[in-house]
Amino acid sequence: MSEHKKEPGVLGQLYGIFFAKHWPVWVGGIVLGTLNILLFAIKSPWGASGGINNWGENVYRLLGLFNLDNAKPLLTNNYGMLCLFLVIGSFIAALLSKEFAFRVPPVGELIKGFIGGSLMALGATFGIGCTIGAFFSGMPALSGGAIIFTIGLFFGVIVALKYLMWEMEKFPGFSTGKSYNFLSGTGKKGNWQKWLGWIVLIITFFIAYQYSDKNKVLAWFIIIGMLMGLISQRSRFCIVKAFRDPFMTGEAEGSVGVMAGLIIGLFGFTIIKYFGIGIGEATIRSREMTWVFSHFFFRAAIGGFIFGIGMTIAGGCAVGTLWRVGEGQVKLWASALGFILISPISKMYIVPPVVNLLPKNWDFKSYMPDYIGYPGAFILVTCIILLWYVFVKWNEKTGRFSAY
Amino acid sequence: MEQLELQDLKVDKVVDARGTACPGPLLEAKKAIGTISSGEIMEILSADEGTKRDIPKWANKKGHEYMGTVEESGYFKIYLKKG
Repeated sequence: MSEHKKEPGVLGQLYGIFFAKHWPVWVGGIVLGTLNILLFAIKSPWGASGGINNWGENVYRLLGLFNLDNAKPLLTNNYGMLCLFLVIGSFIAALLSKEFAFRVPPVGELIKGFIGGSLMALGATFGIGCTIGAFFSGMPALSGGAIIFTIGLFFGVIVALKYLMWEMEKFPGFSTGKSYNFLSGTGKKGNWQKWLGWIVLIITFFIAYQYSDKNKVLAWFIIIGMLMGLISQRSRFCIVKAFRDPFMTGEAEGSVGVMAGLIIGLFGFTIIKYFGIGIGEATIRSREMTWVFSHFFFRAAIGGFIFGIGMTIAGGCAVGTLWRVGEGQVKLWASALGFILISPISKMYIVPPVVNLLPKNWDFKSYMPDYIGYPGAFILVTCIILLWYVFVKWNEKTGRFSAY
Repeated sequence: MEQLELQDLKVDKVVDARGTACPGPLLEAKKAIGTISSGEIMEILSADEGTKRDIPKWANKKGHEYMGTVEESGYFKIYLKKG
């Protein structure tokens, strides 16, 4: 080699591990699963749609619409702040790896982003939870509704993937056109991104410290939210990919990453519930029922299905949307906007009249250990994950269910 | 392949997928590769970071040769030779 590159020092190498290359998805899954357990130990598990709904309520409150004066202010809402700092964490990660850029897609993509986000808002309101609350946390929480929600997601993803491929054939012009790119960090002139990344990181810790006096839980939600965003961006952790890719390219990597997080979460959540860890003033029963939502089974099935369609069209679930907002993907800004604006409207006007039509016993809380005990519930969830693993790995080899 | 060699390649088809987010670039690459013949070279332009990992994997699986990636300002170019 003609030019000799200087070896980075020990700290430089450490920096490289985190920010030079993308992490394997399964590493991201394991760390996210672990952070999820920490959130539960501190208070309650990871969720995303509730936080985004809080943003929406605050937007409408500021605009003076829909009488939302009682909405919880963002600055004191655990999940609203968790979501906000997830975006900031991803922003930090993108800056430190010089991957930040405003990527402005053509109008067709923006429309798809907005519609996808709106459908996710509707699905999350109907299903009481998104891919995080009702799946990535819901399955480890031993909730029966989470299994139904997951099945709904699968069908939604398949339908939307068929749509995307149909659109590609029939209206190839819809998603194409002029795109723009601003403030990209490629090359030497992008070094400002690293500096800004460090500054935002320090500010984040400062803000968390400010909260630590009066609200310890929120201080930690801020730090863990930031870490979750950072890890999601570095590992490109994407639940849409986990559900979609087996049916598209047959790739199993994304699915395996999500499964790794589920299994870790399953161990942690089961232990927390079994021993009633972090119970505080509450009863052990309320600890057990944490993240077991009253959506079994109709609400979970329909909600999961609608959410699955939305996330596939948007190209990111609630969290996938948030971390891509942080790295500057403007399509996902449109998705976030749809989610923010439609979520409170769904909650107040669209979903309640539909739910009132349902028989009462169609939206109860199903906690699996009540029926099959802790060992039974633990084994059942493990078997579902294992079955899914065998399916995606077999399909990766044979391509039996992949369109491509 | 070295970056300079990649830059000098004679490309038979260019797919500009910079406007679409994941999985757009892959969908467009898959569609376009059907229009070239075996041994011809395709260049895919993308601004989606995930594509960097997804397209080479997909190409190798389908028996196309992944030749390399060149970074540009705000996007990158992926080179494939149809198998």
